[in-house]
Amino acid sequence: MSLSSLFAAIIPALCGLLGVALSAMPVSLTGGAVPPPLLGFMPIYFWCLFRPDLMPVAAVFIIGLSQDLLSGAPPGFWTASFIATYAFVDRQRDSLAGLAGVGTILGFALAALICGMTAYVIAWVYYWHLPPLMPLLIQVAVTMVCYVPALPLLNALQRRIVGPWRSEY
Amino acid sequence: MANGTWRIARGRSSAQLPTALAGALAVLLLVAGRAHFVPFERARAAITDHTGPVLQAINAPVFAVTRWTSGMRHFFDIYSENLQLREDNARLLQWQSAAQTFQEQVRRYQVLLKAVPDPSYATATAKVIARSSQPFLETIVLNAGQQNGVKPGQAVIDARGLLGRIYIAGKRTAWVILLNDLNSRIPVAVRAARVEGILAGTNAAEPNLEALPQNVKLKAGQEVVTSGDGGLMPPGLPVGLLEQEGGAWKVALFADPSGADEVRVLGFRSPLEPMPKPTERDLPANVAGLPPPQPEPEQTATTATQIPNQTVATASAGTAQANPAVPRATPKPTVVVHHLKRATESPATIETRPRAEEPPPEQANPPDDDQTNQ
Repeated sequence: MSLSSLFAAIIPALCGLLGVALSAMPVSLTGGAVPPPLLGFMPIYFWCLFRPDLMPVAAVFIIGLSQDLLSGAPPGFWTASFIATYAFVDRQRDSLAGLAGVGTILGFALAALICGMTAYVIAWVYYWHLPPLMPLLIQVAVTMVCYVPALPLLNALQRRIVGPWRSEY
Repeated sequence: MANGTWRIARGRSSAQLPTALAGALAVLLLVAGRAHFVPFERARAAITDHTGPVLQAINAPVFAVTRWTSGMRHFFDIYSENLQLREDNARLLQWQSAAQTFQEQVRRYQVLLKAVPDPSYATATAKVIARSSQPFLETIVLNAGQQNGVKPGQAVIDARGLLGRIYIAGKRTAWVILLNDLNSRIPVAVRAARVEGILAGTNAAEPNLEALPQNVKLKAGQEVVTSGDGGLMPPGLPVGLLEQEGGAWKVALFADPSGADEVRVLGFRSPLEPMPKPTERDLPANVAGLPPPQPEPEQTATTATQIPNQTVATASAGTAQANPAVPRATPKPTVVVHHLKRATESPATIETRPRAEEPPPEQANPPDDDQTNQ
């Protein structure tokens, strides 16, 4: 494996980690009223659909663990949610990868909702207390809105860097 | 934004086993986290310790912009605000005078009643360098850590009232769990009704007041303060005002986590209440009707306890038994009182003496001058 192809192989995971770091930044334009989007989840969904070999479950685990570390969540909280959603996307890849236009965003919204609901159930069992649902729905909505500008970026990254460098596929 | 541009590069079944393993590992992590997985908390503290300056640098312009925009908003009602402040100032000066009189009165009563004064506590002032408002988490990060005496469990207050408590303390940074976080449970009391309860965070803006006694009569608007139970937080810290929502009681918090810039960490720990010593009747051997246990043959060190301005050392007669040069005597304890000049002087509380220098009990009973005047 050449250096460029190795670099291309770790770009998806690096994108996930960068997303986690960005969403953990203490900057909030809404003064903390709106939760930050799950930026780390976007590369997971994107590459799980199109190049699952570049987004193995180990990378998802590391991204989830980073999200737990930086967000202040208990260990395994977002890790388990990301892995559960990854498993769902992996199973439904044929139908999700075939979506186009608005369907692409709706497909991502479904995956983000599953991720959020998994986190909700984990929080319920973990704290043995039913947390309010609204902040979670807002976070899913914000994540979905942020995916609209993020998708062309991810597309460009895949087409111009990851794809050509990993030309064996 | 069309999907399906690239060929799917991996068979589905090949990922099932690793996914299941990773899922199991994540669940294990969750279980470990429930039991306060220390390496994870250390890693989190280490990350915030290292990224603390970066977070502070990123936050500085955000705080500046927030302060500037809020300043602009207040610019238009500055005249009416000034009048209001003058009135408040005059009223507060009257209250200050009354408070000083009451404080002096309380001090006199405490002396007269020989009351144990409230324990004093150290404070550390810290800046908020990050805020995490996740759907299930309400935390902030401070730029003070163990180096500044910050420890887990300590109370964090802003200018208005209790904000939360420290739950992870790194070397230079600390994570604060806010009162409205799902994990937050704080013992509180309704001041007017003298009713105690638990303030439980729900991730909503107003935490619930739980574990109240039955048939208790509360009124909306009553002040809620910390009760001090558990000994980690001082009693009487203002928390908020009672509000009724349906059948449940909630507390509208005084503190504003989104606006808090500088906070104080209270290094408070009330002294532990000593356990009562068991009497001979409590010993299981005596209860069972067995012969009483023989006294301890040897005691190596002189133990000491410290009380304000005095150190009382108790020398056991077992020391004399251990030394063959010292004649056997009745096991009468010897009390040596060390008067300290100042409370801050000589903080050592445990005193040990070589066995050979220990005077025999007969000689040790009247304390020496050089021992008493230290």
